[in-house]
Formats: sequence, structure tokens, C-alpha cells
Amino acid sequence: MARITRRERMSLLGAVGVVATLAGLAFGLPAIDRALPDTRPVSADEPYLIGAGVTVVPPVGATLDVTVTRPGGSAGTVLFRLGSVQYQIAVRPFDGDLRAAGERLRQRITATSGYQVTGPQLGITTAGGLAGLQGGYTAPGRSGRYVVFVADRDSVEVTISGADLDLARTLPQIEASTRTLQTDGRDR
Amino acid sequence: MTPAAVRPAPDGARLSALARVPAFWVVAALLLAGAVRMAQLAGRLAGTYPLATAAAVVLFGLLAVPFWLVVAELDFLEREPIELLVLAFAWGGLVATSVSIPASTALEDLVAKLGSPHLAADWGAALAAPSVEETAKTLGVVAIVLVARAQVNSVLDGVVYGAMVGLGFQIVEDIVFAVGAVALAGQGDQIQPVIATFLLRGFLSGVWSHTLFGALVGAGIGYLVVRRDRRPAHRLGAALLAFLAAWASHVLWNSPLLGDGPGNGTLALLGVLLLKGLPPLALVLVLVRRAHDREADYYVERLSTLRDPELITEGELEALRSGAKRAAARRFAGERAGRAGRRAVRRLQGAHARVAVELSQAGAPNYDDVREQRKVLRELGHPEAIAGPRSWRHTASTIVTTVVAIAVLWVALSALGGA
Repeated sequence: MARITRRERMSLLGAVGVVATLAGLAFGLPAIDRALPDTRPVSADEPYLIGAGVTVVPPVGATLDVTVTRPGGSAGTVLFRLGSVQYQIAVRPFDGDLRAAGERLRQRITATSGYQVTGPQLGITTAGGLAGLQGGYTAPGRSGRYVVFVADRDSVEVTISGADLDLARTLPQIEASTRTLQTDGRDR
Repeated sequence: MTPAAVRPAPDGARLSALARVPAFWVVAALLLAGAVRMAQLAGRLAGTYPLATAAAVVLFGLLAVPFWLVVAELDFLEREPIELLVLAFAWGGLVATSVSIPASTALEDLVAKLGSPHLAADWGAALAAPSVEETAKTLGVVAIVLVARAQVNSVLDGVVYGAMVGLGFQIVEDIVFAVGAVALAGQGDQIQPVIATFLLRGFLSGVWSHTLFGALVGAGIGYLVVRRDRRPAHRLGAALLAFLAAWASHVLWNSPLLGDGPGNGTLALLGVLLLKGLPPLALVLVLVRRAHDREADYYVERLSTLRDPELITEGELEALRSGAKRAAARRFAGERAGRAGRRAVRRLQGAHARVAVELSQAGAPNYDDVREQRKVLRELGHPEAIAGPRSWRHTASTIVTTVVAIAVLWVALSALGGA
């Protein structure tokens, strides 16, 4: 039987070191990440800055998912959680009109396998007078709502999803929150 | 010139030879695992956006060709085995990417959890991606050293392998980003977002992207492996410094610094690109120049021992010292003896490089190719492969190429909303 040389042993040890470092990156870091909570409390008394000067008052009892929430100067995303229900708002630069923004959001929803939009789009207006479109969609095991606004050359996309019962229970607070959406009126 | 700067490599690194190294099988298993992960991702993208995915693969695949040729040309005198170049490229495209996707996400999440969503939004990508990606790419050069240590025999070899790992990473990442842009646009299976991503990530940030960072890291690993005349602490320090330089360059590139500084417009965007991208580019150019000159000096010294103008002349030795002079010699032959002359000089230079490597391996060189090309050149009336005087045509061509490059850059910046 051939004996393994010192050089081969060192090479193999080095390879084990490479595998261990890669495993640390691919599995270790996500494990540490999972060990820490994703959410933190958020005040329902004051507006939360989503990004690009757009604010919203969070629903009562919601927590903020810091793994998705990314505020920014020209774009931003926020994800609130109410139990199993996810309430996400994304602001990003957009050149088209409200109809185009609605169509874009519907296309993105239906691009996910198993997701389908349901029914026609209806008009909605926030407390600040921002006009938008809203509709519904279904996905395996959950239902959803979407709302879209266009203001100051930005689109504001709201998606709400969760199990039917939870969604029905939390929808009033979320709709009240959506109506508090406001922009600072500045073109970026 | 000390021989410590260049350690002659044994002949080739064929797959059969690699297969006898135990570490090769570990690396092969990692490549297979990476290939499965990336194939799953590619399958999902191609299933939803087949046209956009195909367009992204074709565009960025074509972009890889000039990068590959330039990187491979860096090491003209002692070319790296194609098997190892492919392995380095595959590591970057399959292993480094598949590890970096979950690890970067996790690290960015940790920035948000331990800091705040604001910190993650501003600095998450700048801190997470460089830390994870530069580590994963560095391991690619380490893997090359583990499976074929003798092939990494100069700092320049480290640069070449590092750049190849970076190139593989860059191309696959760009394809994923391009199809991601299609999904974000929400217009269905369109190729416009792919083209926009190609202009942005291919043209505007392609030059100072992962290929460059990988080259920096590779220079450090090359130094660590080759310069055994230096103390281990010194070599390790140099490798760490090179890693830090690559990491810092990547952080600077991803950082929000200067994001709102010089305002909007094409000139401002160009200014930011240059301010962020030029420092690492200049650093790599200096490193490559230095490493190339050291290697060229070493091999030219070996060739100068021949002392036979039939095999190589003083002028040809001088022309072999740099890529610019080699190119000038080919151009000069083209001007005097047409395409056949240019081709013969290219072949003669390749034959000289092979003889130089054989001399460094203390073997018995085969001069047949050199004699054959010398004969061809004599028949063409251009017996010596030397660099000629700088011609006005070359100067004009350089100016026109520069102007066209700036115009393409300008159009790309304007098309992306800079103007």
C-alpha cells in the first residue's frame, strides 16, 4: 500500500482547512444570524421613514423585521410583522404612471410560482390625499393584498400577506396604517 | 535578480497529474457542490425568465473573453496550464458565489441586528460583501496552491490565478444581478434590464471589479508561497496586507461615500467611478508591472546564456522584457513583412518563452520551433523580431481607441441616467 508523503498530508490538511473556512461562511454565519431575533419593537405613535422621504405610521402591535428593512435616500423597504402576517412597503424611483406601477407590481407577484392576482384593481386614497390602486392575490397557503401609489417620481408598493384567519384579524390595523403613508413632496 | 523571485515550475499540470494529489479531490468535490447549487439557481432563473437569462449568459460570457485573454497574456513568458486557469475560474463562478450568497446575506442581517436597519442600508453591502467574497475568493487561490503548488512559482502567477478566480466570480455574479434586475423591473421576460446591467456592471464597473480585487489577493498568496528567502512572518504579513488592500478596495467601491457628493450628471458619475476605482487599479498595475518585470528579467537572463544570435539576438532579448515591447515587435514585423511577418514574430516569441522555461527547468531545450520561425522571418526579409521605432499610425490608433473608449463610457453613463 502506497504511503502518504508529508507534502500530500500537508496538502490534505490545507484542503480540510479550506473546507472548514467555507463551511464557516456558508453555514456558520447563517446559524449565528438565525440565533438572533429578526424583529424588534416599533412605535405605533410616530411615522417611520421608509426611504426617499416616504413615511408610514406602523400598525399597533407590529414588530419591525430588521433583516428586510432597508431605509435609504432614494429608495427603501420596510417589513412589519403582525404574527404570521407580513406587511411590506417598498419605495423606489419610477418614471411611469399609476396604472403602469400597478401592472408592474401585478407582474412581479405573478412571476412567483403559484401566485395569482384575484379580481380587478380598485382605487384607494390615503389620509394625505395620495391616490393609489389596490388588489388581491392568492398564494399556496396564504392570501394577500397589494396597494400601489406613485408620487414624486417614486413608486410606493405595499404588499400584505398571511394565513386567511390572521389576515382577516389584522387587516383593519394594516389598512389604517397604509392610509398614513406620506411623502415629503421632494423630487429626488 | 534573485532566483527566489521565480521558482521554475515542473512541466505542465495535466489532469492526470492533478488527480494524484489528495487535495485535488477535495477541491473537485467543492466544485461539484458549487455547480449543483448554482445550477439550481440558474434553473430557477431560466425557468421564470428564459430569454433574459440566455441574453445575460451570452453578454457576460462574451465579456469574459477579453478579460480572460488579457489576464492570460500577463504571464506570457511562463503560461499557466489551462486546467488550472479553468479550475480558478470555476472556483470563482461556482464555489465562491454559492458560498457568498447565504454568507453575505447573513452578515448583512447581523449588521442590521447588532446595529440598525439604517446602518445595514448604508454600510451593509460595503461591510458584508467584501468580507465574505474576498475570503471565498482567496480560498480559491489557496486551493490552486494546494493542488499544484509548483505551478505558483512567481508573484505574477498568484496575480493570474487570483484574477481568474475574480473573473469567474464577476461573470456569474453579473448574470445573477442582470436577471435579478429583470425580476425587479416587473415587466416580464425582457432583456432591457439585462442590457442596462451589462452597461453598468460590465463596462462601467467591470474594470475595477472582482478581477482586480482577486489579482491583489493573488499577488499576496504568490508572495507568501514563492518568496521563501524572506522570513515567514514577513511573507504572511505581505499576504495579509494584500488581502486587506483587496478588502478595502471592495469596501470603498460598495460604500455610500461620494454617493451624494459631486451631484448628478455624467461628469459627476464618471468622477465618482474614477475616484473609487482608480486607486486599486493603479495599485494592481504597479504590482503587475513589478511582478512581470521580475519574472521577465529571470527568463531573459536564462535566454541570454544561449549567446547564439541564430536562436535569439540582443534586440529580441530586450523585446521580450515587456508586453508593450513584444507587441511593438509584432507591429514592426507587420509593417515590414505583412500579416505573415506578424504571425512569425508571435510564434518566435512563444518559442522563446518555451525555451526560457525549459532552460529554467535545467532540461534540454528543443530549439526546433525557434529555428523554424527564424527561417520564416529570413524568407520574409525581416530576420529579427525587434521593436521598431514608434510609428505615427500606432500613435493615431492609440488616440482613436482612447477617444472611442471615452465615448462608449459617456454613452453608457448617459443611458443609465447620469445625464
